[in-house]
Amino acid sequence: MGLRVENLRVYYRTLRGYVRALEGATFSVADGEIMGLAGESGCGKTTLGHSLIYLKPPMTYIEGRVFLDGREVPIWDMKRMNEFRFRRISIIPQYAMNALNPTRKIGRMIAELLAAHNVDFNEILPELKRRLDLVQLSHDVLNMYPIELSGGMRQRVVMVISTLLNPSLLIADEITSALDVSTQKAVCEMIVEFRNRGFVRSTIFITHDISILYQIADTIAVMYAGQMAEKAPTEVILRSPRHPYTRMLIASLPRVGARYRQERLHGIPGAPPRLLDPPPGCRFRDRCPVAFERCQETPPFVEVEPGHFIACWREI
Amino acid sequence: MRAGIRHEFLYFALRNAKLRVGLSILLLFIVAALIGPLFARYDPNAYVGPPAHPPSPEYWFGTTTFGQDVYSQFAHGLRSTFVVGLIGGGIGTLLGILIGLVAGYRGGLLDEILNMFTNIVLILPTLAVLIIIAAYLTVRGILVESIFIGCTAWPWAARAIRAQTFSLRAREFVDLARMSGRSSLKIMLTEIAPNMMSYLFMTFILQFGGAILNAATLDFIGLGPTQGMSLGLMMNNAVLWAALQLGMWWWLIPPGAAITAIVGALYVMNVGLDEVFNPKLREL
Repeated sequence: MGLRVENLRVYYRTLRGYVRALEGATFSVADGEIMGLAGESGCGKTTLGHSLIYLKPPMTYIEGRVFLDGREVPIWDMKRMNEFRFRRISIIPQYAMNALNPTRKIGRMIAELLAAHNVDFNEILPELKRRLDLVQLSHDVLNMYPIELSGGMRQRVVMVISTLLNPSLLIADEITSALDVSTQKAVCEMIVEFRNRGFVRSTIFITHDISILYQIADTIAVMYAGQMAEKAPTEVILRSPRHPYTRMLIASLPRVGARYRQERLHGIPGAPPRLLDPPPGCRFRDRCPVAFERCQETPPFVEVEPGHFIACWREI
Repeated sequence: MRAGIRHEFLYFALRNAKLRVGLSILLLFIVAALIGPLFARYDPNAYVGPPAHPPSPEYWFGTTTFGQDVYSQFAHGLRSTFVVGLIGGGIGTLLGILIGLVAGYRGGLLDEILNMFTNIVLILPTLAVLIIIAAYLTVRGILVESIFIGCTAWPWAARAIRAQTFSLRAREFVDLARMSGRSSLKIMLTEIAPNMMSYLFMTFILQFGGAILNAATLDFIGLGPTQGMSLGLMMNNAVLWAALQLGMWWWLIPPGAAITAIVGALYVMNVGLDEVFNPKLREL
């Protein structure tokens, strides 16, 4: 069944009006799918990820519906969301290394968290230990304070905790950003392993590093200025992207073996629009080399081939 | 699990020199307050002996200008000092924690209302209110005095705890707890409060000491207990009847030294406890 998001609109409330950070996102993530969510800073990746679990003020729900395993998720209702949080929708935050209470031993912290969800700690302890083995942590960490662990160990602990109750949806929010390359690899392999073993069903992997997504994601969704630009299987996005933004984004990646002494690395000219009062229509219009009159209207996010969605008037 | 935590806490607590020293002094005075009055042979306010008699086997701490037994006054005064500190400081701390935590964690309109209430109590002219209350209560005991002290002393604690809560609630682990569906009450009690435990304890110590000093002030302006005895009352009587000028050190020094030692021991203990509570400050 997986996750289905329909026309989700989440704004930030400010004194000068709404910042339109997420504008009509429609997509689905199948069971067992790892969807990479890519895009530059401020494009709404994290807003999308967080809105599915906790609408932290000033985030404001405007419209849209979210279904998980065929059941509607009341993301606008802080109280009712509590039964989904952790148990069915879980997050590994960007700051996973600092996400443990410094005054609690890890085992006690887990026990308290489980108690809040009416799960018996001792019942789940054998499984917890198996999972600690899986991420190569000693069982002793349960009896330690977070400061006794290294940053990487703490992140692994958080990953184990977040997936402990086998959530249907796991949101991994830029978890590799602060890591060195070898740790990045280990973390990515862990995410795949969690999926393969059925600890989590669907995963949304938020990152701005497309080369990581190539290693682990089944599909990639590219966002631009709060809108979904393109979603397709990983191979398709990387080999034959069709949205002009995706094409320029992929083209700007450094290539292995290329020499940039003669030829400079290309970026995308211009900057994303301000989301406080964005121009109507396609938000990539001003930077797009192939824009035409029709781009004054907002393009729909349509399926041009099975599993390949594009929001661009040129391509539909 | 539980036993392990207690064991570890004790391990670090017993190894901490500051805590040991502070706690020993405090325990000494607590024991003195508990069993001291049992050895007092006279009523603290009765005129039992020769006036202005220096310490002797008969009158251990000497007598006052009026022939009251200083040791009896001291033993009873110590007891009421602890009562005032515990009840007054306890009420002040509890109110401060409650209002500060809720205002800081909830924020928004509730915070505005609670903060306004805090500020009103903070600027309330305590002395004027006291005089009015004293005018209505002709018979005042230690208990009433402590309750009143507690009810007027909490605002600065509430403001400080509110500020601490503001900073802690933005921390990552609180954020994750919220995203894990924990209730507000649990987050306040298990995520936020333990992270400022040493601060809360310090608040209690300051409130404890503040209550003792406040009680002494009240005693001085004649609004203290009409029955019973307190260290503050002893000191003020001593000052009023010129004990210092007459060289009656035995009347003045015991209550003064006791107050100083108790409050000082609490401060030293606080530093020690900070090192025990906070794993980052622990010395192995």
